[in-house]
Amino acid sequence: MATEVLMPPLGTNVDTATLVIWYRREGDQVAAGEALFAVETDKATLDVEAPATGVLRAVSVAAGEEAPALTRIAWIATADENLPEDGTECTQGAARHAAQADAASDAQESATAAADRRFASPRARRAASEMGVDLRAVAGTGPSGSVVERDVLAAARTQERVPPATPLARRVAADAGVPLEALAGTGPGGRIQRGDVERAPAPAPGEAVESVPVTGVRAHIAERLGRSSRETAAVTLTAEADATAFARLRGEIVAEGLRASYNDLFLRLLARALREHPRLNASLVGDRIVALRRVDIALAVDTERGLLAPVLRGVDDLSLREIVKRSAALVDRARRGECPPEELSGGTFTLTNLGMYGIDAFTPIVNLPECAILGVGRIKQAPAVVDGRIEVRHRVWLSLTFDHRIVDGGPAARFLQRVVQLVEEPGRLLAGAPAGP
Amino acid sequence: MAVLTIAEALRDGIREEMRRDPTVFCLGEDIGVAGGWGGAFTVTLGLADEFGHDRVLDTPISESGFCGVAIGAAMTGMRPIADVQYGDFLFCMMDQLANQAAKMTYMSGGTVKVPLVIRAPVGSTRRGAQHAQTLEVFFTHVPGLKVVAPSTAYDAKGLLKAAVRDDNPVLIFEHKLLYGSKGARSEKGAVMSAGEVPDEDYIVPIGAGAIRREGRDVTLVGKLLTVYRAIEAAERLAADGIDAEVIDPRSLVPLDRALILESVRKTGRLVVVEEDNQMHGWAAEIVALAAAEAFWWLDAPPVRVSAPDVPPPFAPVLEAEYVPSVERILAAVRALF
Repeated sequence: MATEVLMPPLGTNVDTATLVIWYRREGDQVAAGEALFAVETDKATLDVEAPATGVLRAVSVAAGEEAPALTRIAWIATADENLPEDGTECTQGAARHAAQADAASDAQESATAAADRRFASPRARRAASEMGVDLRAVAGTGPSGSVVERDVLAAARTQERVPPATPLARRVAADAGVPLEALAGTGPGGRIQRGDVERAPAPAPGEAVESVPVTGVRAHIAERLGRSSRETAAVTLTAEADATAFARLRGEIVAEGLRASYNDLFLRLLARALREHPRLNASLVGDRIVALRRVDIALAVDTERGLLAPVLRGVDDLSLREIVKRSAALVDRARRGECPPEELSGGTFTLTNLGMYGIDAFTPIVNLPECAILGVGRIKQAPAVVDGRIEVRHRVWLSLTFDHRIVDGGPAARFLQRVVQLVEEPGRLLAGAPAGP
Repeated sequence: MAVLTIAEALRDGIREEMRRDPTVFCLGEDIGVAGGWGGAFTVTLGLADEFGHDRVLDTPISESGFCGVAIGAAMTGMRPIADVQYGDFLFCMMDQLANQAAKMTYMSGGTVKVPLVIRAPVGSTRRGAQHAQTLEVFFTHVPGLKVVAPSTAYDAKGLLKAAVRDDNPVLIFEHKLLYGSKGARSEKGAVMSAGEVPDEDYIVPIGAGAIRREGRDVTLVGKLLTVYRAIEAAERLAADGIDAEVIDPRSLVPLDRALILESVRKTGRLVVVEEDNQMHGWAAEIVALAAAEAFWWLDAPPVRVSAPDVPPPFAPVLEAEYVPSVERILAAVRALF
C-alpha cells in the first residue's frame, strides 16, 4: 500500500518548513527509517526519516521550496502501484504522521483527517478561546497530530495574542500586506477597523542593494523581537562595574586548566543573583506573572543563520565546571544548527554579550516571555579612581533591559546592583557548590 | 469489621435482611438443597439451615416460572430475592422481567410496587456462549428496572441490602471471577476481591458511583471485572507518567452521571472498559454521555474497550482474547496522548 511522505510539524509556531535537500531521488528504492530529506524551520535543520520501504514517487516539493506542515510531499509505494489521486482516499496526513513519529504507537488512523486540515480537540479550542490563542498557529502533538490542550498552553506562553480586529479590517490588511500587529485599533474595545488599516503607512519601495525574503530564522527573529518591542514596557538600566578582580579570577581559573569564558562566569553569577531576585526570573504567562524558582538562562548566540538563543537549564544547580562544559556544547550545537526546538525556548532570563565586538553598552531587547535580559559590554582597561588615586583598572558596562510591566525600576536596579557587586567581588562565586540558598 | 469475599458478603446481607424483615425470602434453583452448593456459587449456602425451606425455596428448573412467582409475591407484599444460576438464563424470563415486573408500577399509576431482587452471575469463565455472557446492558435499557453491579465485598452487601429495601425490581449482577467462592466452586483466574465489611447495618445507595483511583490525565470507567483491569492498567500507566482515574459506577441504573462527567471534565479523556459486546452497548452509553455533556472538556475522542461482537468463546485461548485485557486498555489509553 502506498504511504504518504509528509512535511513534519516541527514544534510550536511552525506552520511551514523549507525542504533543504532530498537524500534520494524520485524512483530510488528507500528503506523505512533511513534519512530521506532534510528540512529547515525557523529554528533548526533536521533530517526526516522515510516512513516506509518502497520506491520514492510523485515528489511534489523540490529542494529549496517551502511546504506547510503535514502536507504530502511524495509517496513511497511499489514501482507500479497506482497512487491515489489528490483529495481522495489517502489524505490521512495527520494520522500518518503519528505513525511516522511513533511507530510503536498503535494510534488508530482517522479516516477523515485530511492533510490540509488541522484538528483541535474541543478542550484545546476551549482553552484557546479562553486564553486568546490563535489555534491556526499551534502545532499539534496529540493523537493523529491533533492540537490538544497542552499544545495550546505551550503556545500561550510564546504566542502573541491575536489583535482584535473587524473581519473587514482583517481582509483589507491581508490584501494590503499590512501586519495587524503593528496597528493601533480605534474601534470599540480597541478593535482595529478598516480605517486604521488604511491609515497605516504603505511600505515605500526604495532602491535595494539586496532583497532577501524574510523566512526561516530571520522571520522568527523578526516576529519575536518585533513583538517584544511592541509589547513590552522596556527600560534599560546601565551600570559600570570594576572588573579587575573578575578578570583576575578568570585568569586564575584558566591557568588551572578550566577554559571558562567570561560568559561562563556571568552565567554562574547570574544564577546566584536571579535566585536572590526571583522577580527578575519571571515570565508573563497569559495575564499572570510567574516567578520561577529554576534558573534557565538563554544565551544569545550569533550564528551564520542568525541570532539564536539556546537555553542552558538549571544553571543554579550547576558547578562552574559543568557550566563551562554544557555552555560550550550548547553554543556549538546552535552554531551548527543542531539545537532541537525545545532547546531554543523556555528560558527564564537571557544573557547577551557584545564585548568581543568592542561594544561598551547597548539596549538589549527582552526575549519574551522572559522579564529581563543582561547585556555585557567589553571588559577594558581604563583609569579609575580607587581610594582617591587614579589607577588602571578593568571596567565593564552592564546593561539590564527589563519589562516594566512585570517588575518595577527599584527591584530591577537592586538586581543590577547585586550583579555589579558580584562582578566586583567574585571570590564567593567559586566558594562551595551550586549558587543560591 | 470482617474480611469477606463477595459471596460471603452477599450471604451475610441476605441473612441480615431475612432476620430484619419476615417478608424477605429467597427462591431459585438448588439454592437450599441439602448437600448442595448453595446456588451455583455458594451465595445461599447454609441459609436454609437457619430459615428453613419455607423461606429458602428450591424451585423447579423454570426461570420463567419462578420469576413469575417472585413478581406475584412482590406485588402482594413480600420481598423476594430470586437467584438465577447463570445470568444467561435471564433471557428465559425476559417477558416476566421486561413486560411484567418493569411495567407494573407505571401501568398501575404507582399503586402497585414490585419490590423484587434478582441476582445473576455474569462474566466469561470458560463456560462458553450460553453460560458466560455479560448481559447487564439488556436490562439497563428497560425503564422500570434498577440494575447494580458490585465489584467489592462492601458494595455487594451494601447494594444487596439497598436492593431488598427498594420498592422497584432490582437486578444485581455478580461476576463469577469476583465471588471468591471456595472449594468446588472456586474459579480459575479469579480476582481477589475480598475486603472489609462492617459488622453493623449499612447500605450502599443505589445510584452512587465510586472513584477507585484518583488521577488527572484520563478517566477509565469499568464495571465488575473490568474495574480491576482498569486499576491494573492505571498502575502501569503511572510508570509512563499518565495519571489515570478509575471510576466504578457500581449502579448502572440509575447511573451516577455527575461523577463520570466531573471526572471527564477534569481529565479531558475517557476510556470505557466493558466485558460486554460493543455494539449498541453500555460503554457506548457512557461515551455518548461524555460527548453530549462534556464535549468542550474533551481533549481526545472518548473510546470503548469492549469484547468483540461475537458470543463468548469456550476455548480458553479465544476467551483470553475476548475479554478486554490490561494490554488492550493500555493501548487504547496511550493512543489518546
